Amino acid sequence: MKRNLFALLSLLVLASMVLAACGSPAATEEAPAATEAPAATEEAETEEAAAACEPAGTEPIAFPDGGKSVTGAYDQEPDAVVPYFTQMSYAVWVTQMTLVGLGEWTDEGTFIPELAVEIPSADNGGVSEDGLTITWKLKDCLFWSDGTPLTAEDVAFTWEFVMDPGNAVSTRSGYDKIASVEAVDATTVVITFSELYPAWPTLFTQGPNNAGAILPKHILEGVTAAESDPFIRMPTVGSGPFVITEWIPGDYMELLPNPNFYKGRAILDRLQIRFVADSAAALAALQTGDVDFYPNFSEGDIATLESLAPAVVLTVDPGSNFEHYFFNQGRVAGVDGRGAADNEGFCPFKDVRVRKAITLGINRQAIVDALLSGKTTVPVSQWPNSGWTNTSLTVDGYDPDAAAALLDEAGYTLGADGIRAGECDGEQVKLSFNFETTTAPIRIDIATAAQADLAKIGVEFTPIHTPAGTFFGQYVDGGPLTTGNYDMGGYTTGFYPDPYTNSYKCEEIPTAENPSGNNWYHLCDPALSDLIESSLATVDPAERKAILDEAQAYIAENYYVIMMYARANVMGSTPRFNFGPSGGDSHMFWQAETWDVTE
Amino acid sequence: MWTYILRRSFQALFTLLIITVLCFLLTRFSGDPLAQYAANPRMSAADKEALKERLGLNDPLYVQYFKWLGLAIQGDLGQSFFARQPVSEMIGQRLPNTIVLMFTAEVITVSFALMLGIISAVKQYSFWDNAITTFSFIGFSIPIFFSALGLMLIFAVQFKEWGLPYLPTGAAVWDKSDPVEYIKNLILPVTALAFVNTAGYSRFVRTSILEVLGLDYIRTARAKGLTGRAVLFKHALRNAALPLVTIVGLDIPFLLGGAIVTESVFSWPGMGRLFWEYAQRSDYPVVLGVLLIISTAVVVLTIVTDVIYTFVDPRIRLS
Repeated sequence: MKRNLFALLSLLVLASMVLAACGSPAATEEAPAATEAPAATEEAETEEAAAACEPAGTEPIAFPDGGKSVTGAYDQEPDAVVPYFTQMSYAVWVTQMTLVGLGEWTDEGTFIPELAVEIPSADNGGVSEDGLTITWKLKDCLFWSDGTPLTAEDVAFTWEFVMDPGNAVSTRSGYDKIASVEAVDATTVVITFSELYPAWPTLFTQGPNNAGAILPKHILEGVTAAESDPFIRMPTVGSGPFVITEWIPGDYMELLPNPNFYKGRAILDRLQIRFVADSAAALAALQTGDVDFYPNFSEGDIATLESLAPAVVLTVDPGSNFEHYFFNQGRVAGVDGRGAADNEGFCPFKDVRVRKAITLGINRQAIVDALLSGKTTVPVSQWPNSGWTNTSLTVDGYDPDAAAALLDEAGYTLGADGIRAGECDGEQVKLSFNFETTTAPIRIDIATAAQADLAKIGVEFTPIHTPAGTFFGQYVDGGPLTTGNYDMGGYTTGFYPDPYTNSYKCEEIPTAENPSGNNWYHLCDPALSDLIESSLATVDPAERKAILDEAQAYIAENYYVIMMYARANVMGSTPRFNFGPSGGDSHMFWQAETWDVTE
Repeated sequence: MWTYILRRSFQALFTLLIITVLCFLLTRFSGDPLAQYAANPRMSAADKEALKERLGLNDPLYVQYFKWLGLAIQGDLGQSFFARQPVSEMIGQRLPNTIVLMFTAEVITVSFALMLGIISAVKQYSFWDNAITTFSFIGFSIPIFFSALGLMLIFAVQFKEWGLPYLPTGAAVWDKSDPVEYIKNLILPVTALAFVNTAGYSRFVRTSILEVLGLDYIRTARAKGLTGRAVLFKHALRNAALPLVTIVGLDIPFLLGGAIVTESVFSWPGMGRLFWEYAQRSDYPVVLGVLLIISTAVVVLTIVTDVIYTFVDPRIRLS
């Protein structure tokens, strides 16, 4: 019997040893040898152009002994790196370094050319008089990382590929407004729209909120059902400063310099991205120097990061995303037969005085100072930190007295329980309502602060924190936002690089007929809806700015939303790593070729 | 015995079928895989509908279930909604890492538990027994996320700050073919896991040895003039270890599921993290795949444990 027991135990030990031996490198995803012989181009002009210039190499530059290497931590693993197939920021943060577009946005939000020579405009003849035709000129001597020439043909192919019904791209928004994309010669591509599309700069270009890289025709031609193609998940041929050479799921991704990058090879010899579980793991790894950067701390981590200086360097860039609170306006104005919401909002919110009082009753600046270390700002409108902001507007400061006066005026008087009550639509209503948002710790802290502020003016604001999956649940699943089953809500969104939003459009109120509508305020104010729509009627940036200025003023006057704070990119890095200028929308990844280390 | 195994196998198949239905319903109602795109201004309503159609989420629930089951029976666990990789491939990539971590921890746990449990039982109420009991209760009461993070903060972060040789946090990119690196990266997660588990197991060993030591046959063995050591190892331990076999046997399938917290803290690319990451995204195929593997292992290993029992304990006959 003793023998049996020991045999069993030894078997256990042996088994674990054997398994340990098998367990060494996890099934390594082998980079498909994507280097095909450069396709012989049919066009004579292409041949001439190609003959005049040569690629610097045909594969990524191998890591030399003692080379410069940087490791970043991502707490979410990209789903697919080819941008048309992903909606993940973390994926775009790899795309920005591997597959570039015709243009991009700088850290200051300026639109600059990348593969193109210049940004098309009416002045340089790139934008036709009717605004329907855009002509892009590509730089000469562009090559993919495998040495194949990158030409206007690739741009035309990219459009065909995205529009191919056989490929399940995540969105065709904008691309479906194009009638044709024609490669006139190797470096000239003419895009003709079927209708006016003022957001044309967001097509075939790169930025964190739009990812439109040019795709390699010589690799993807003939591919259908591309959503499952290995190249879409892990493009091993690229046009950015780096090329992905290895990706072990759950573990890490390795990127090596692209020899043919249009600005010359990157300074770093290697970039590794380690997939960690959360920002806490990333923070510990930053402290020991196991990783050099983590791009996505929360604003709530700012104070901790500040306390770790100089071992950890903190960078905070306010961007165009914003956290906002809003009132369910369901059935307030469902006029003209437009935008009838299923659920009615909280009756007192129909009165602008109540909305204004709640706005004035929350000390937003104190929240920014205390909970966000004063590193960001309370924005005036939903277009913060961008050229679209209406600079003539000012933020309403905290004014509990004015708020109380407004509520008195609206007929809501303090009750014995300290909560105001009054009449709304003939019924007695207490100013007591729910506020719904997600379970993010910073949201819990801020909602608690708002609750305390509002209690002082006799308003009972009860935060309800629901997991994001339920909070943002679909209409058919009864998600509170989509069905309008909430009083007040709060979350983050942003409208950029193109400023258009359909979230005020009457027709976008989610209903059984249109369950995926984007108007979660359930607000149908035809004047506002039409105003924002009219910004789509012109490609002239100045004209659009005037329209949006008016829309911002209108939203502000009507207190439809409470702007809480501009969301910021909070990055932590080691002192050895210099990532150059970073900006809210372009993040730290728009110039990865300039990244360097100082030992 | 073969009849027994056959009967149990049929029962197991039925159990598994029920488990798949429950798992399917639980995962299906636990969240919305499209919620991550909900607040995304880049995706139009039509895009979201197209995605839903492509993922098969528009089918009635029972159709979705039978489609999934039909493929699963053929060994195809489907494709991850999110990663677009075959689920079996994803599990194949993580499983070896989890097996290394979990089995190393289990072997260390069982060894230490036996050692501590025996000392505790033999020297009942001595200083060592009290010390081990205290240790067990501490280990048992501290949540693993705390002990894991604590270990990391002390032995990685603080040791580095103090200029001492320090262990890796696990978050660096390290060479898995280098055995020294491997062991260095394994120390902290294994310690965290073993610390918690040893505590419980050693209490268990202590109790069962104490129980056995009071039995008549042990008195007989002592009366025969056997040494204390012989009584303990030859007679007492043999019987006392029986319940441990059951526990270890039932533990093994769960080891395959990995350790969500430990793997997350130490960035270990294993099954626990796979499950957790994809459960958060409501990626049903992955979650179901992992659950199916674990439940199959539980069901199979329960039968195997029962069969092994007949070898370890001659008093038990299967019928």
